[in-house]
Amino acid sequence: MNVVREVLEELWSMFVGDRRLTLLTLIVVVLAAAVSLLAKATTLAAVLVFLGAVAVLADAVFQAARKSRR
Amino acid sequence: MLDWATAAPAVTAAFVASTVEVTEAFTIVLAVSSVRGWRPALSGAFAGLVVLAIIVVALGPVLNLVPLNALQIVVGVLLLLFGLGWLRKAVLRAAGLMALHDEDAIYQREAARIHGDTQSAAAADGVAAMASFQAVLLEGLEVVFIVLAVGAPRAGRPSLMLPASLGALAAFVVVMAVGLLIRKPLALVPENTLKFGVGVMLSAFGVFWTSEGIGAPWPGDDWALFGLAAAFLIVALALVALVRPRKTVLAS
Repeated sequence: MNVVREVLEELWSMFVGDRRLTLLTLIVVVLAAAVSLLAKATTLAAVLVFLGAVAVLADAVFQAARKSRR
Repeated sequence: MLDWATAAPAVTAAFVASTVEVTEAFTIVLAVSSVRGWRPALSGAFAGLVVLAIIVVALGPVLNLVPLNALQIVVGVLLLLFGLGWLRKAVLRAAGLMALHDEDAIYQREAARIHGDTQSAAAADGVAAMASFQAVLLEGLEVVFIVLAVGAPRAGRPSLMLPASLGALAAFVVVMAVGLLIRKPLALVPENTLKFGVGVMLSAFGVFWTSEGIGAPWPGDDWALFGLAAAFLIVALALVALVRPRKTVLAS
């Protein structure tokens, strides 16, 4: 049971290790999907996914950097 | 027929990511072998590989049953989460804000842990085999995910499962060959540099697949992956420079 628990914990930490990063990434994808489906602006949606991912990465890095300096 | 632009990113991502994960698993298997010998170490590692193979055989065909757009979105988002997570850690390590992965320290810690857990010889072998099994299974899960994700089927294009699997297999062979030759933790493998590269590639794959999944493909098709990877690399390097603590020079 210990192994199963550790496997599940590993899977969880692989994708949801940083909850803020996960939540923001999902928000970016939902926004981009809305732009693609509702506004039919597919190139804008693709660029939004990229810029959103960059913004999420920057946010996660700056957050962690701030915490490590405290 | 696969062309270079299509196969190269998948093979490279699978090879580099697998090199990191196999190195980590090898360190623990080696620590186990140094304490209890090769038998429990290899039997545990073999059991871990068997479980991983069962997972791949079970999950592979399931991917073909999922509608393509849904699969692309799910795989794309998972790749984004995984890739951005790796890249975040790699940036923080490169900036000196997070400790580097130290294979020598992990080796010593694991060997001490197995020493400390021993009661009888049989129990000690069991603990050792289980440690080896867990290491191979847990590190291998990440390799399996990466291979399944970058090799998953795509609309009107050949599956990349075989090239991605070959990339992972090549990493396994290289790390095992070097590791068994020197019989020491592979502390010289530049893990953070590799993780930096993998984070960049997986993030690029994640953006590419998520965009395709939501019906917003990138111009230039597979070549866009190279552009996205270059852009992520530039952003990540810029972030390292921005968060790296500045040295203050005191006037004497």
